Amino acid sequence: MANERTDLLQGTLELLILNTLARGPMHGYGIVQRIHEAAEDLLKVEDGSLYPALYRMEARGWIKSEYGVSENNRRARFYKLTRKGQTKLEAERANWNRVSKAVTRILQAT
Amino acid sequence: MKTILAKLFGNPYRKQIVFEIEDELHFHIEMLERKYVQDGMSAAAAKAAALRRFGSLEKAMKQCVDIRSRNSLRRRVLKASLIILGLIGLSIRILSTERNLDHMGDLLIMIAIAGRLLLYVRGLSPSTFLSGTDETCPSIVTPRDNSKLRGA
Repeated sequence: MANERTDLLQGTLELLILNTLARGPMHGYGIVQRIHEAAEDLLKVEDGSLYPALYRMEARGWIKSEYGVSENNRRARFYKLTRKGQTKLEAERANWNRVSKAVTRILQAT
Repeated sequence: MKTILAKLFGNPYRKQIVFEIEDELHFHIEMLERKYVQDGMSAAAAKAAALRRFGSLEKAMKQCVDIRSRNSLRRRVLKASLIILGLIGLSIRILSTERNLDHMGDLLIMIAIAGRLLLYVRGLSPSTFLSGTDETCPSIVTPRDNSKLRGA
């Protein structure tokens, strides 16, 4: 099946990452897998684009990272949500709902 | 000459940053390979599929190193120190009544401005100006066949 590349709305990947990390600390691979599972293959984040987003979010203080041991006993960097990240997640969720509602209304009106 | 400049202005922690990022990205690719092998692929096919799914390793690596270097603790401490230095210079300039102290204040302000400019210039990266490298707008892949969407 052919796939189509689409650009996400700005900040969507951050929202998906924050939402995923709200479940608990995870390494980068775990985050992508969780997003893919939750989206049931309707949406796939490019794995390579995850890390710049994670590093940017860490610099902004939304998440923090520390080394831990992965399921295959390898040292891995685990990310977790900070208090600031939790607040950002709530704000972004509300914003997403507002935007999607507005776009749906416009599409239905035309 | 190049080596001397690199030693003078280079980031001594860059190697460590690069190593950590490389390790993290390779871990991701290893996990993908493992998953594909478990799904029944041969080792070679799994490696190729993992690299394909990951996308450009080089681009991800470069973006991560840039972000990490820009936001390193050392850099933040340096920025804060320069601001403090500038403020001390400004305070001396405002409060002092002696000419010699005025010069001292001017010197501190100049050092702070020059240092800040140097940090800014060093932080510039060509990728900042290139189109198509918008870090906040990554791509997603959606199936062309929309039957799943319709079913949802």
